Amino acid sequence: MQLVEGEKEVIIACVNEVLKEKEKTTENLIPILQNVQARLGYLPSLAMEMIAADLAVPAADVFGLATFYNQFRLSPPGKHQVKVCLGTACYMVGGKIALESFERRMEIREGETSVDRLYSLERVACVGCCTMAPVVVVDEVVEGKVTPTRVDGIMLALQENGDTKKSEMKTDLPDEGEGKNK
Amino acid sequence: MSNLTPLVSYEKLRSEAVLATNADAEKTRVLVGTATCGVAAGALQVKEDFIREIGAKGLDAEVIEVGCMGHCYAEPLAVIAKPGFPPICYGHLDNGLVHRLVEDFLAGDDPCYEYAMAALEPNDVFPTFAEFPRGVYEQKLILEQCGFIDARNIDSYLARDGYSALAQALEGEPQQVLAEIKQANLRGRGGAGFPAGLKWEACIKSGGEQIYVICNADEGDPGAFMDRSILESDPHLVLEGMILCAYAVGSGKGFLYIRAEYPRAVTHVQEAIDQARAKGLLGTKILGSDFSFDLEIFQGSGAFVCGEATALVNSMEGKMGMPESRPPRLAQKGYRGRPTVLNNVKTFAYVPLIIKNGADWFKAIGTPDSPGTAVFSLVGKVVNTGLVEVPMGTTLRQLIFDVGDGLPNGREFKAVQIGGPSGGCLPETALDVPIDFDSLQEAGAIMGSGGLVVMAQDDCMVAVARYFLEFTQHESCGKCTFCRLGTKQMLDILTDITQGKGDDQTLALLEELSEDVRDGSLCNLGRTAPNPVLTTLKYFRDEYEAHIKEGRCPALVCHDLILYYILPRKCSKLCNVCVGSCPTEAIFTREDGLKEINQEKCVKCDNCLKACPPEYTAVVKLSPPILPPEKERKN
Amino acid sequence: MSDQITITIDGRQINVMPGLKLLWAALDNGIYIPHLCAIREEIRPNASCRLCFVEIEGSKHPVTSCTKTVEENMVVKTRSPRIDRLVKTAFELIISDHNLKCNECPANKNCVLQTIAKERGLRLKQKRFKSIVREFELDDSPEVFAFDRSRCVLCGQCIWADRVEAKVGAIGFTNRGIKRMVTTFKDLPLADSICTQCTLCVDACPVGALYYKKDRKEAGS
Repeated sequence: MQLVEGEKEVIIACVNEVLKEKEKTTENLIPILQNVQARLGYLPSLAMEMIAADLAVPAADVFGLATFYNQFRLSPPGKHQVKVCLGTACYMVGGKIALESFERRMEIREGETSVDRLYSLERVACVGCCTMAPVVVVDEVVEGKVTPTRVDGIMLALQENGDTKKSEMKTDLPDEGEGKNK
Repeated sequence: MSNLTPLVSYEKLRSEAVLATNADAEKTRVLVGTATCGVAAGALQVKEDFIREIGAKGLDAEVIEVGCMGHCYAEPLAVIAKPGFPPICYGHLDNGLVHRLVEDFLAGDDPCYEYAMAALEPNDVFPTFAEFPRGVYEQKLILEQCGFIDARNIDSYLARDGYSALAQALEGEPQQVLAEIKQANLRGRGGAGFPAGLKWEACIKSGGEQIYVICNADEGDPGAFMDRSILESDPHLVLEGMILCAYAVGSGKGFLYIRAEYPRAVTHVQEAIDQARAKGLLGTKILGSDFSFDLEIFQGSGAFVCGEATALVNSMEGKMGMPESRPPRLAQKGYRGRPTVLNNVKTFAYVPLIIKNGADWFKAIGTPDSPGTAVFSLVGKVVNTGLVEVPMGTTLRQLIFDVGDGLPNGREFKAVQIGGPSGGCLPETALDVPIDFDSLQEAGAIMGSGGLVVMAQDDCMVAVARYFLEFTQHESCGKCTFCRLGTKQMLDILTDITQGKGDDQTLALLEELSEDVRDGSLCNLGRTAPNPVLTTLKYFRDEYEAHIKEGRCPALVCHDLILYYILPRKCSKLCNVCVGSCPTEAIFTREDGLKEINQEKCVKCDNCLKACPPEYTAVVKLSPPILPPEKERKN
Repeated sequence: MSDQITITIDGRQINVMPGLKLLWAALDNGIYIPHLCAIREEIRPNASCRLCFVEIEGSKHPVTSCTKTVEENMVVKTRSPRIDRLVKTAFELIISDHNLKCNECPANKNCVLQTIAKERGLRLKQKRFKSIVREFELDDSPEVFAFDRSRCVLCGQCIWADRVEAKVGAIGFTNRGIKRMVTTFKDLPLADSICTQCTLCVDACPVGALYYKKDRKEAGS
């Protein structure tokens, strides 16, 4: 992937910062990668090279780790990340249907990021909210009982609030409710 | 502090905590369950609603976040503790109900019993959870405080005698802790049921300067969430158990390996560690004794196989989470090549209780060979979904039909899947099997980490077996031949069957390969991966045969073997719901006004079937996927 | 030597050094046990190919001989219906993921898979499992050798050569499960990686995945 101007500097600054915080042992390799990804959203190969050099491990090994663990991604995520849970409970009550609905609406497949980098769609094994199945995690917010119609609702909310954060969206809701009560 | 004995130091901490938490005993408290499951149901909103409504009324009441009470079916939940009333739990909260509760109960004195689920303490006016029919079967040990204490405030745990077991143990010798755990026959709750005391002892025997204590919180079984719940709701119970273990084996350093998918658990545990350290319950010279021990969190990166002991250690050492052949066992050569105790969250959670109440108390619960309780996350087609804790020896029937209140909407029971991807599917005839490590194994399932999924007649057992194989195949680390390629071949065969493909040899081959993967794999992930297949082949072979021989999915699940059809005689010309529900515009209105599905366009999403109003129920699924004769369709 | 211990393999008594793994004890004494991933110097054996199963008297389950240290008076069988069944399945699974065009392969007649088939009477053209060979782009970027991943059996011998013998660190395992593969950082062609093209990995490859290009082979022989 080609880095756009300025991205390289951001990556270097970020990785240096993380490396400064952690002791240079292979035991810290995964925490370092987690930290970098938490800040950049993904693991650019430049970051992996820097980390490998700093910890004196083969870059191939860092690449191996990054491709082994589910958590790591090698390309930037979409602006909105949707993770569909396909744990047993979710699967049994239509997790796959929810996933397919998202795939249709976002016009991408699971594991992909839309061309406009607006959405990325992933499956996760279990987020531990089995009683709310099927569950999806939309930008870190867990949504329960997601039917295909709810998928449409989520997508609509993401489109309308393209620039607002989910949390801000949520605070809109009670006012509506209050209005109803009065 | 150094002159004080651990018990005196502890007593000081406890009384401070009691003071701090009871300072406002006269104040009304609203406890909102905000574990991940509660949050998913909208608990944070409920909490905000309470704060706002209370503020608007200018009431003197405190809103506190607590963990999970296990009654997940009724989330979001809150408990209102108002002086003069028993603490009462309310479920299915929304802002209307919150408004009402604040106005009528907090401001007025009407506890709105019509909305109450149960009281938490025995009283004369309203039944408690224990008085529910399921209360007879439940016995909460490690879940007892979950949802009732403020997980983010150590005082809440201390005030209820938390860490007293540690103080008590520090007054005595480490061997006493070990002896008590051995005597209690506490078996590891991670799945296999290996006695914790023996594991600890093996570590001590391996000896050396440094022994590590690791808590396995890489709960990856899809369908199990009790470890998350305990860590989020009562983290200090687990920490205390780990500190006790460290004292027993002489360890100075421990880790909690928590999976990254549980951010809330990570936060709560980190807070708990910091608070415990600040109070002198972790770190150097714990409670003024000579014993020092500290804890750190290691976040897993999302690989199911890391639940396997050697893979977990590899992952902590910065390598791929790949299992190693054993021996050596972790107790001999574990983390950093040192003897290592690795136990599950639940196992550690029992430790303080056993030290506090004694081995005999523990052994009086459950069965002789599997003492104590079992914790299950009860999910799937069951009314009372949530976390349950029952004494070992309870039967599956009691658990599903009495505690879980059976299947919803009059569905008929078909199978129960226990133990996640490593476990098995048991049929109706196995429901009287008592729940304990050995009986379940005999029946072909395993205790696993306690996922229990109830399945009804509309669940296809081939699809279920395929689902689990897809999971293990996806999560296989890829190191050994049987797991990497064997599970892939098994998955391909199962996929073929769900598409109606196969011949006389298919099931024999599947069974043979399953047995070889079980016997030949390097680690337990591979060795147990065939269990869902082997048990469904054993108990539900007819379903497999229907797929292969008749191209029919009896449960009407497998996409390639079903089609959606609108019964002309039931369809109403006046209704248009299904047309609107279809995401692919496959449903059209015929000239005669009835609706029909264009099979070419249909993606079998099930929307129309759900959307069709109950007075018509005109949408049906047919298997094998053959449309009725044209004459009938014209009708 | 006096400090040797005696074990029995397939009815034959042999004297071996204590501490040795059973697989090497057998091989050193001319008793063949199929194996792909075993490396004598490795302290904690990989035990990943699952081909070297044997039965040991007193053990309930078959064990991999590469992980089992010899013990005094150990009685071992390298063949039994159970062992043969496991080895056959493991072998056929490996074959199902291996590009079987032997006559196009430079390792033809010099391939460990062929040896195993011959020794154990197994068929290379197995019928039980579908072929799931993945398609890879051939990496012929190095000057004298090439890497055809469709023939790779993931034994790890090349990685050992790269890491321990050549001390380079150009290649390693990546991905998980069925996607596991041997590759360079960022999947670069070997010539663009830090590979020094020392060819130790080529010599280590038991099949025809890493192989010398024709001209070199002719020049060498």
